[in-house]
Amino acid sequence: MNAPEHPDQPVLEARHITKTFRGFKALDDVSFDLRAGEVHGLMGENGAGKSTLIKTLTGFHAPDAGELRLAGNAARFTSPRESQAAGIAAVYQEINLIPERSVAENIMLGREPRIARTIIDRRRLNAEADALLARYGIGVNARTRLAGLGLGMQQMIAITRAVALGARVVILDEPTSALSGSEVDLLFDLVNRLRDDGVATLFVSHRLSECYALCDRLTVLRDGKHIRTGTPEELPRTELVTAMLGHEREAEVARGEGRDLSAEPRVLSTQDLCWRDRVRDVSIDVHAGEVVGLVGLLGSGRTETFKAIFGATRAEGGRITLDGTPLTRHTPAVSIGRGIAFLPEDRRAEGIFGRLPIRENMTATTLGALGRFGLVSRRRQVALVDEFVDELSIKCSGANQPISELSGGNQQKVLLARCLATRPRALLLDDPTRGIDVGAKDEVHAVIRRLAGEGIAVLITSSEVEELLTVCDRLIAISEGETAGELEVGGTSAEDVLALLAAAADRNPTRASA
Amino acid sequence: MTDTAGSAKPKLTARASHSRETASWTDWLRTNSVYIAFALLVIFNLAVTPGFNNLYALRLLLFQAAPLILIALGQSLAIGTRGIDLSVGSLMALSSSMIAVAIGLGQPGAIAVAILTTAFVGLFNGAMVTFLRVDPLISGLALLVAGRGLAKVLLDGSRVGLPSGGPLGWLGMASYVFIPATAIIAIVIAVIVAALVRRTTFGRYTLFAGASRSAAFLAGTPVRRTLLGVYAISGLLAGLAGVFASARTGAADPNYIGVLFELDAIAAAVIGGNPLSGGRISIMGAVFGALLLEVLNATFIMNNIDYTYAQILKAAFIVAALYLQRAGH
Repeated sequence: MNAPEHPDQPVLEARHITKTFRGFKALDDVSFDLRAGEVHGLMGENGAGKSTLIKTLTGFHAPDAGELRLAGNAARFTSPRESQAAGIAAVYQEINLIPERSVAENIMLGREPRIARTIIDRRRLNAEADALLARYGIGVNARTRLAGLGLGMQQMIAITRAVALGARVVILDEPTSALSGSEVDLLFDLVNRLRDDGVATLFVSHRLSECYALCDRLTVLRDGKHIRTGTPEELPRTELVTAMLGHEREAEVARGEGRDLSAEPRVLSTQDLCWRDRVRDVSIDVHAGEVVGLVGLLGSGRTETFKAIFGATRAEGGRITLDGTPLTRHTPAVSIGRGIAFLPEDRRAEGIFGRLPIRENMTATTLGALGRFGLVSRRRQVALVDEFVDELSIKCSGANQPISELSGGNQQKVLLARCLATRPRALLLDDPTRGIDVGAKDEVHAVIRRLAGEGIAVLITSSEVEELLTVCDRLIAISEGETAGELEVGGTSAEDVLALLAAAADRNPTRASA
Repeated sequence: MTDTAGSAKPKLTARASHSRETASWTDWLRTNSVYIAFALLVIFNLAVTPGFNNLYALRLLLFQAAPLILIALGQSLAIGTRGIDLSVGSLMALSSSMIAVAIGLGQPGAIAVAILTTAFVGLFNGAMVTFLRVDPLISGLALLVAGRGLAKVLLDGSRVGLPSGGPLGWLGMASYVFIPATAIIAIVIAVIVAALVRRTTFGRYTLFAGASRSAAFLAGTPVRRTLLGVYAISGLLAGLAGVFASARTGAADPNYIGVLFELDAIAAAVIGGNPLSGGRISIMGAVFGALLLEVLNATFIMNNIDYTYAQILKAAFIVAALYLQRAGH
């Protein structure tokens, strides 16, 4: 936290780093530097080498060639522990803290103030933690149990712990992907304070707008190579995306704008759907060939609405109908049989079978139909995989490749294929492009539009309003579990949608703070 | 016979580099550790242990191994769903007592009653896991205690002799070219279970339930039915293992049959490449895991190593085998 003696000397520098895995160059002659008091955005598509670079900086991987320099001196870390001792801290989405202990205990873990070297001095422990929290503007009582806090707050506690331990470099790997809007604002405040303290922050995010709002410099990696570094002014969005993709972004797919779909038959419909206090009287109609976007912040009840429709949770009130026939007390298996397919939001926990190959992942739902008398025909499994690998241009080495080896975007396409293999009438897509790169996003959008063109009714959510405006015919806003209004897509801007959501949140001030 | 949907090696088109070959070598070592350990132990015994290179010793060993193989199969399925079945040892004892209780129905009838009883208890175990959402460790522990208790109550805690002729006598004594009938039956069942895992929807659903319970549910696979089936099969196989053990002993003996067998079954399954984290099932691995443990027991007995020390050595061996499996992770 002391300013370096030579102000222009980078705190951490990577010189000509190369790292090879099984003959594949994950990093190819990458040079890059981090200066004191800057927030540096690291950008690139999945597989560009961002994670490998972070793991090299933190000593998880040893580079095959090249060197790291810390404050001008050559540094060689053989483990994350060594890099931590040298002042490099990485905060990941999966937070490495102890959920059942208090915020103070977590921040001070391993260096608790003691009385006579034995008994932990709780009063001083809490006081010191409170001081740190106050310093970084985090409005949490140090005595709170960590698990009782939201993910965003936990992340900030982890960052506080890192700087309290004297970190000069803080690496934030996709810190915002699971946060709500207000949590993101708090995180940005914290990062700005770190900048004032002279800490160098490496910020990794898929969200371009965040990187432009926060970063002093941006570095783009592609295919393991360093492509460009520059200030946001030097690297406008179009250039940045071109640098990430290696080509111009293809023109966005045409949406169903102007098509009058209300005359089409209603495929999926809910009336006054209720589930606990998270979904309250939600009524949605989706017509054949229509893409309806459920727009709302994380925690607005959108995921709960999807799960109640699909039967993953049991709706406690209201009606759900498919093609005019009611669905009651249904399970996911029943819904699928009736023609509803669901792509869950949390791909890792609820979507993929990480240990199993693409073949099993893609055919999980349709397994019974791919054989007779409970026997599975591997030939027909592989045929189905080949068909969808082709149709959705999934990049993989074959049906037997473990799904965990694929990039996020390709994993998502496999799960989309699992849905499509059931030949659904209605498709529920819960944030289908979460955490996948720009190129794959465009491809997923194109697939969604094509399916709508074939007459499938699609209900979709996303954390990005722009995305919904691109892909949907109609938007339904949801806030605090209640529908807050409906918007035609034509002529609507993201600001209009956010204004609507903000207005809805204002109407429910008590619940908004709960 | 090994179903390792997960260990199927991707056919990378990348040029084979040195590091890639090193990686596949450790992969290979890990996947095949149980067979390597088995082979090494057999070679060691052939060289060192007096009387090991003898077909009578082989026959004895296989008689011992048959029940363990059966319960290791059920254990592999339960572990594959990210569960565990601690009841199998006690269910062997329950099966044994039920033969004695139902012997009036004739031997085949008594055997059927014994196996159906344990299959039913297994189903009950599965119901606790699926419907009451009891942790399988806890439900299994409850049945471990209750099962043996019931087995003892049925026979007033005493040992009851069984007929030395008929089907039970055959199971206890018969062998063909030094291979016991029970071992042949166990291997045939292992082949059937392997086919079940590899080739049927039930087997796939079992893997899905272990790989990710919520993904399996949301994908519409019958998670509950699958879990019920898995624990029922484990109970059924434990019942048959109890029949084998009783036939070999020549008595229904609820105090001694199957004691601590659940631990050997778990060790056999895990050493054989069925990780406790679920989603991967290797039936051939479990069979060799069971054989490995039996050869290990024989090694200690035939070298006159005191039982107390033998247990410690066995534990060390199990840890070493598991370590070998972890190498490369």
